[in-house]
Amino acid sequence: MSAKPVNEIILAVPSKGRLEEQSCKVFADAGLAIERPGGARSYQGNIAGHPDIVVRFLSAGEIARELVRGNLDMGITGTDLIHEASQNGAEKVNIARALGFGQADVVIAVPGVWLDVSTMSDLSDVAADFSSRHGRWLRVATKYVNLTRRFFAAHGIAEYKIVQSLGATEAAPASGAADLIVDITSTGSTLRANGLRVLEDGVILKSEASLVVSHNRQFGEQQQVLLERVLAAFAN
Amino acid sequence: MTKPGKRREQLMSLVSGAGVTPANPPALLPASDYFDLAGEEFGARLLLTTGADGLQYCLRPDFTLPIAKACISGEGVAPAAFSYLGPVFRQRAQGPVEFEQAGLELVGQPDPEAALSRVFEFTAKALGIYGVSTPAVRLGSVALFEALLEAADMPPVWRPRLRRRFGSRKALTASLDRLTSLNGNTQTLAGKSRNELIEDITGQMLESGLSLVESRTPEEIADRFLEKQALAVAKVPEKTIALLRAYLAISGPVEQALAEAEELFSANGLSLEKPLSGVAAQAKVLAALLPDAVLSFEAGFSPRLHYYTGLVFEIAGEGGDILASGGQYDRLLQSLGAQKEVSASGCALWVARLEGEAGR
Repeated sequence: MSAKPVNEIILAVPSKGRLEEQSCKVFADAGLAIERPGGARSYQGNIAGHPDIVVRFLSAGEIARELVRGNLDMGITGTDLIHEASQNGAEKVNIARALGFGQADVVIAVPGVWLDVSTMSDLSDVAADFSSRHGRWLRVATKYVNLTRRFFAAHGIAEYKIVQSLGATEAAPASGAADLIVDITSTGSTLRANGLRVLEDGVILKSEASLVVSHNRQFGEQQQVLLERVLAAFAN
Repeated sequence: MTKPGKRREQLMSLVSGAGVTPANPPALLPASDYFDLAGEEFGARLLLTTGADGLQYCLRPDFTLPIAKACISGEGVAPAAFSYLGPVFRQRAQGPVEFEQAGLELVGQPDPEAALSRVFEFTAKALGIYGVSTPAVRLGSVALFEALLEAADMPPVWRPRLRRRFGSRKALTASLDRLTSLNGNTQTLAGKSRNELIEDITGQMLESGLSLVESRTPEEIADRFLEKQALAVAKVPEKTIALLRAYLAISGPVEQALAEAEELFSANGLSLEKPLSGVAAQAKVLAALLPDAVLSFEAGFSPRLHYYTGLVFEIAGEGGDILASGGQYDRLLQSLGAQKEVSASGCALWVARLEGEAGR
């Protein structure tokens, strides 16, 4: 579309809360201090001394989606969100640097009272028996549709149905919306508080905030130099 | 040489021929029917959209389900023969695709074997239109595998589980591997009686606010818990596992493969003559219709869908692409809400691929 060469890159940073604070901190530590002149109400920022790096503040989910689609050059987001952005989201980007914060696991958790279910093989048996016992598929509540499908397929489980959940997934078994869940957890305390237990081999993904570069972009020479400069600042 | 237009005409007249009713189900269908029937794995292949009514719809991924569903009414299922020709839509790894399928669905026919022969005839005629005379035919038999599971020595709980995995070599192998190395863990509550376990579990469920009836019940959890402990002692015999592995490895020209199966069964003291001769007879019908085809039987071949019951087949052209597939699925209508099992068989043809073969 654009005829003239683009000489700047767009860096997307999570727009609020701890993720924003920690993102700005690791960039500052790397010698690339991010400024947000308009404060929390402004969604544009910059890096002192680098007028050719445009900073945009977006939600972490949106950053993942737009990196996969190729509408952003580079951004900070969770690897879980990259995997979830599309069926082959991880192939569309380069997860260039793990940034050392925002660690959490995407896990599969069942009601703790399912004494007979401690591994994915147990779950596989339960899934196979479930529909003939209950006249419906085993239901899994999650917002991680793609990750769940891939993990279940890898364990040979086909007899289940996903119930999309956009919040409070951990409450789904008690509310009757689903039989078990796939969700993200850092300490496991929310799961325990809801009477849920992570399966022994039920860690689907170890997620971490990362610096991610889109593959769906054609980078010019000047942009390449800029990208490498940013990555070099995070060399260690 | 026949022109594409002429071939098209011949295909149209095949699908609107005598004795069949052309079916034209909507291209936009409720997605829940597919999820309920085939689960999440098939659901991942649907092109979904959400209506203003909040319900999920999908673009028609096949004709079989809407045709079969329309056959079910309060008065039971009347015998019917439907044909179809039209676009279907699927989600593939590289993105969404639209392609044309033609096919035949025979429902509730008094003689299910004659119905399968009719499906074969329809398929052979379609291949003939496109000049495909030396296709590779792959046959499988759900009936034979189910008969083997029934006859083989094992704790009954494993039969439905192994059946559920039939059609996925990976899942089935993983199950057999696990059976070989099965050991009980869960010692913590060992020694409790079934009633004590149920009581414990009920208490815990009430405490964590879980419904006692909507999901897994206390009895179900206790029973599988005990079963797991019991299986650690009384496993599936190694001989059975070896038999299943050997059977699933069978693959080759029909007669040779079926002879191998027969030999394997009798070496294990099993007599599965009826299902074996059934497959042989079905293969013979198809061989007569496609005299130059290469017919092979693959013991582990089947779609991984619980509603298939008898023979399943796939026909590939010189390019290796599947041109036609189908089989017998007597449990389909019941899964869709019919009161009892209704015999059903059919096939689906990939029209563009057939046209591609004609151009070779």
